[in-house]
Amino acid sequence: MAVKEDLEILAKITSEFKIKGEVRREGRIWLDTPTEGFVSFCKWLKERGFEHLSAISAIDWPDESMFELAYHLWSYQDKILITLKVKIDRQNASIDSVTEVWDGSAQVHEREIHELFGVKFEGNNNLTPLFLEDWQGLPPFRKDFDWREYVRRKYYDRQNERECVYYD
Amino acid sequence: MTGKMNASASTTISQLQPAAEDGQYDLYFGPAHPGSGNFGVKLKIAGENVASARADPGYLHRGFEKLMEYRLPIQNSVLSDRICVLEALNWNLIHAEAVEELMEIEPPERAKCIRVIMAELSRIQSHIFWFGAFCIGTGFETGFKLAFGYRDYILDLFEMITGGRVYPAGYICPGGVRRDFPDGATQKITHVLDPIGKMLRIEEMENPGLVARAKGIGVLKLQDAIKLGATGPVLRASGMKTDVRKDDPYEVYDRFDFEVPTRGEGDAYARYLVGIEEIRQSVRIIKQALQQLPEGEVIAPKFKRIKLATKIPEGDVYVRNEVARGEAGMYMVSDGGERPYRVKIRGPSFLHMIPVLEHVLIGAQIADVPAIYWSLNVCPADLDR
Repeated sequence: MAVKEDLEILAKITSEFKIKGEVRREGRIWLDTPTEGFVSFCKWLKERGFEHLSAISAIDWPDESMFELAYHLWSYQDKILITLKVKIDRQNASIDSVTEVWDGSAQVHEREIHELFGVKFEGNNNLTPLFLEDWQGLPPFRKDFDWREYVRRKYYDRQNERECVYYD
Repeated sequence: MTGKMNASASTTISQLQPAAEDGQYDLYFGPAHPGSGNFGVKLKIAGENVASARADPGYLHRGFEKLMEYRLPIQNSVLSDRICVLEALNWNLIHAEAVEELMEIEPPERAKCIRVIMAELSRIQSHIFWFGAFCIGTGFETGFKLAFGYRDYILDLFEMITGGRVYPAGYICPGGVRRDFPDGATQKITHVLDPIGKMLRIEEMENPGLVARAKGIGVLKLQDAIKLGATGPVLRASGMKTDVRKDDPYEVYDRFDFEVPTRGEGDAYARYLVGIEEIRQSVRIIKQALQQLPEGEVIAPKFKRIKLATKIPEGDVYVRNEVARGEAGMYMVSDGGERPYRVKIRGPSFLHMIPVLEHVLIGAQIADVPAIYWSLNVCPADLDR
């Protein structure tokens, strides 16, 4: 497996930014990134060729009281996928926005995460909801939001003889 | 949204005067519009031209990412059909790859070849549908009907192989494929390549009306395309030579010889031409895959008998595929349980329909809006998820 190039990039990142990471297989680098200096690290990566922000995903870990954000970046030149994993506090979920780095694509990815998980992105000027209409409750993709319970309460009547089966 | 639409339907003509002082008025394109397909765009119109556009998704939101957290991989495999109507098999494949990479399972060689053939057939029928939808966006109804007629040949094939015309019900499942090709399937695929060739000749005829409508509209420059996150045919039509199948090969794509078509203009017509060329390349891949199709098992031994409670090892994985619309991804996290802890689906239309569409619509004429919209090869289903 030709992982030499990946290891070179990883070594450069580790020496310059003191960020730990691993090469899982050819063309796949995973990094544990701290929140301090996150945006400037992203800027460095973009200048290094990681121009395409493929996706941002959030993982909710209520037991450890944290959100994990994963930024998937692709480099068109080196053909390498880097995943940045950032841990943030769940109670006060906020992180600096990367819109100044990846512009339009980052803007809409962050907007989605904000709506579904309630993570605040400092510096993103448009975080209006995308999918849900007039949603007041808990952000629905969080682990403590029980979707089945919500559907039962909202759409099925316990007194109705046809619909009460959903309560058993 | 619907409330506002009903209100505007009951207003009289005199109330429809320009509301603002600058003479701009709002125009709703979708979501319940025959030319938009379950997706809304709020347009601000100044005279004949679009001053600004705002995408309004959510009409088709089903929350697949959350639904998958409640289900076993074998159930999710069936669920993954529904992420995009036109690319059910491709989404099956992405889900299967994510589960396999987490469980460290290698599907048999024959299954890999069958997967490539099915994914490419799915890409062709999706591109033919794209041509049809683009024709209806430009008012060329004959093209629409021809496209749907020829697409049916592939749907018949899907019915023969998977049992479903549009939704294969998880035909490509973790570990391989559900069942082997039935007798005569390879011959039938070869036969179906003929009508596809005929369809290609129809698309290449360059109907002057269609060309006049498509040339020069919805221009997306390369630097904007990268900035706004465009992928797939949209990015290639703007001049970037990139394809996940070539750059980051999955399954057995590295064994096949095919070209990545690009154009430099970045307008609707360039995207249309890229689409045609991609069908031709897919046919090439299918021909090679049929020649190389090995004998043997089609599903890994571990998945031969469906055991419902199989634990997924702890870990996370991000899988990327090239579907007809662009780059599709799936991020799957497991905490060691039977169900995935978290699934994130990255649909290509998510970026094509929000930032890219909002960008290319600015300055366009009202009549060109459907043409530009469909030239991006959009699918509201994989945007809303």
